[in-house]
Amino acid sequence: MYNRSLWFWLFITPVLLALGIVVAFPFLYGFIFSFTDWNGLRVTEFTGFENYRALFQESEFINALIFTIQFAVVTVLLLNAIGLGLALIVTRKIKSNHLLRTIFFMPNLIGGLILGFIWQFIFVSVFGDLGEMFHIEGMKGWLSTTRTGFWGLVILTAWQMAGYIMIIYIAYLENIPKDLIEAAKIDGATSLQRFKNVTFPLVAPAFTVSMFLTLSMTFKIYDQNLSLTDGGPANSTQMLAMDIVRTAFSDNEMAYAQAKAVIFFLIVAVIALTQVYYNKKREVEM
Amino acid sequence: MKGKKLYFLIGAFCLAIVLGGCSFSSGGDTESGGEDGHDGGGQVTVDIFQFKVEFKDQFEELVEIYEESNPGVTINVKTVGGGNDYGQALTSAFNSGEEPDIFNVGGPPDVDQYEDYMADVSGTKAAEAALEGTLNSVERNGEILGLPFNQEGYGLLYNKEIFDKAGIKAGEIQTQEELEEAVETLDSQKEELGIEAPFAFPAKEQWVMGNHLANAFLADEFDHDVMEAYDSDSVAFEMGDQMQRFFDLQNDYSIQPTLNLDYSQQVEEHFSLGNVAMIQQGNWVYNTIESMDPEFAEENVGLLPIPVEGYEGRIPVGVPNYWAVNKESADEVVEASKEFLDWMYTSEEGKQFVVDEFRFVPAYEGYEDLDIADPLSEEVYRYSTEGNTMGWVFLGAPTSWTEDVLGAAMQEYISGDITWEEVEEQSIEGWEKSRQ
Repeated sequence: MYNRSLWFWLFITPVLLALGIVVAFPFLYGFIFSFTDWNGLRVTEFTGFENYRALFQESEFINALIFTIQFAVVTVLLLNAIGLGLALIVTRKIKSNHLLRTIFFMPNLIGGLILGFIWQFIFVSVFGDLGEMFHIEGMKGWLSTTRTGFWGLVILTAWQMAGYIMIIYIAYLENIPKDLIEAAKIDGATSLQRFKNVTFPLVAPAFTVSMFLTLSMTFKIYDQNLSLTDGGPANSTQMLAMDIVRTAFSDNEMAYAQAKAVIFFLIVAVIALTQVYYNKKREVEM
Repeated sequence: MKGKKLYFLIGAFCLAIVLGGCSFSSGGDTESGGEDGHDGGGQVTVDIFQFKVEFKDQFEELVEIYEESNPGVTINVKTVGGGNDYGQALTSAFNSGEEPDIFNVGGPPDVDQYEDYMADVSGTKAAEAALEGTLNSVERNGEILGLPFNQEGYGLLYNKEIFDKAGIKAGEIQTQEELEEAVETLDSQKEELGIEAPFAFPAKEQWVMGNHLANAFLADEFDHDVMEAYDSDSVAFEMGDQMQRFFDLQNDYSIQPTLNLDYSQQVEEHFSLGNVAMIQQGNWVYNTIESMDPEFAEENVGLLPIPVEGYEGRIPVGVPNYWAVNKESADEVVEASKEFLDWMYTSEEGKQFVVDEFRFVPAYEGYEDLDIADPLSEEVYRYSTEGNTMGWVFLGAPTSWTEDVLGAAMQEYISGDITWEEVEEQSIEGWEKSRQ
């Protein structure tokens, strides 16, 4: 027994150490900094909850929070719908399904910054020209209003990440035992019924995984936001991550930004944990 | 997944602090520069950390020339891209204990942050040669803490060919009315002139509006002194009506929608390719225009002052950045750093290089007999030596006020959400709040 625990600790120490140095310790440090007036160079005083009190009164932070929540809700729904849809398409017996999988996954391989610029061109120039050509007012001036900025971000994110979510669904869909489906068929279930009563409950674990992933992904989006709208117009499409970075590096209020980051962390943690808890309850044991 | 970057960044930052702290406590004798100074027998190493990507190669060339004639000095140059990134990188450099010996600071808020590290450079030749007023924002308690990089100036850049075709004489445009008239002439002949609109107004860029446009109309109330703006508890928008008029003129006669027009579209796509007749920018866009169309840049770009009542024929000229020497470095390193900066701006060799290769508008005396490389800079230098200038007060505004408060409010104004009165109200409120 003694031996085993020695080896146990020997193997786990490097990981613990690495995790401690790059995650736990900085996290704690940052937490402490959020109670001070740290400006990046020095701390002059301990301000207690001052930063936290200030941030809930700052309209820019509240706006960013609301915008992020709206964005996350819409995007998570859309992403999972599209992801599952794509997965259903490519798990059918069609000839090109391997090629299709690759194609759907491709956007995920391009960096968010570059995608942002590409879509910016599409939204501004291509949409603009199409709108001009077919006289569709709604296609002109994309990204110049909050609403189009919002949908621009939703479209970009859905397009980029749907392929990734699709892969998760594919894994679960392909694991569904064929006999169950067959049995359902023999019992005379229509394809809709088969999907609703057999397939859907069996891919429920995939929902847990992808909901968790997409929710935390969409909450923490930064580079797409930066390159597509840069928070504009009038900082109305600025998401939480971006607001925090700006507070830290443009306004130079490091401690205040740190306080925002702590709140941000709490929100993401609470949402993610609640959601995992509820989805776990719904899963079917096979 | 992407958002993890943020955590990582914050994590890395804190880690930098921790590690930085360790190296502090292990004793000051391992400080950068110092060790090389002792070991190499009179060898001094100066680390420069600068932000101007545009002249990186030329600057390194200049450093080589200096090292050849001064064998006792080794200079390492590190360049990190402009704007926010530099501030970020500089803060972490200081935190990690790898403090540079020479670094850059912008306006008074930067000076505040780094004041403890900035050595007094008042004894240098360069400080004596600096043009009047250029040292205002780095003066603290009688000490001069920085040396100006260069001067920059802005106004309305216009396409001379288009103006000629439309029969407009740029020299005769002095007042707001005359400018409006010229713009209407241009607008009525759009087809014949082959332009899309008279202006390209990049309302997506908060700095173009909040920093530069506003500055022209705010300089007067702060007496053109950046420090006066820096010490002021409030802003009055005394010339708010004029600002609105000029703002509306640019916005209304621009390629639409202005809210998604950005800087690169403005300069490259629209101005350099002759889609518009005018843009509000400064001499820093010269290299960009030149890379698009060298002939156009050389022959056809003119600079027109922004029409401000009482300041007709004047352009805002200012110093965007300063060189600072790190006080904490070893004494001989501080001396060597000062000597290098002196040499760059006051020796014949250095001056020639500053003008020819850096293409700077010098912020120092003694450049009268040198030819300034590009026509825009030349024009800015002409305005500056003739004294036809206004101050750059926006660097004295509260941190990020110009963009996040004023610039953002102007964007809301364009989208029709608020009136101009509300733009002013919000901005005054924002200024006062930061200065409490």
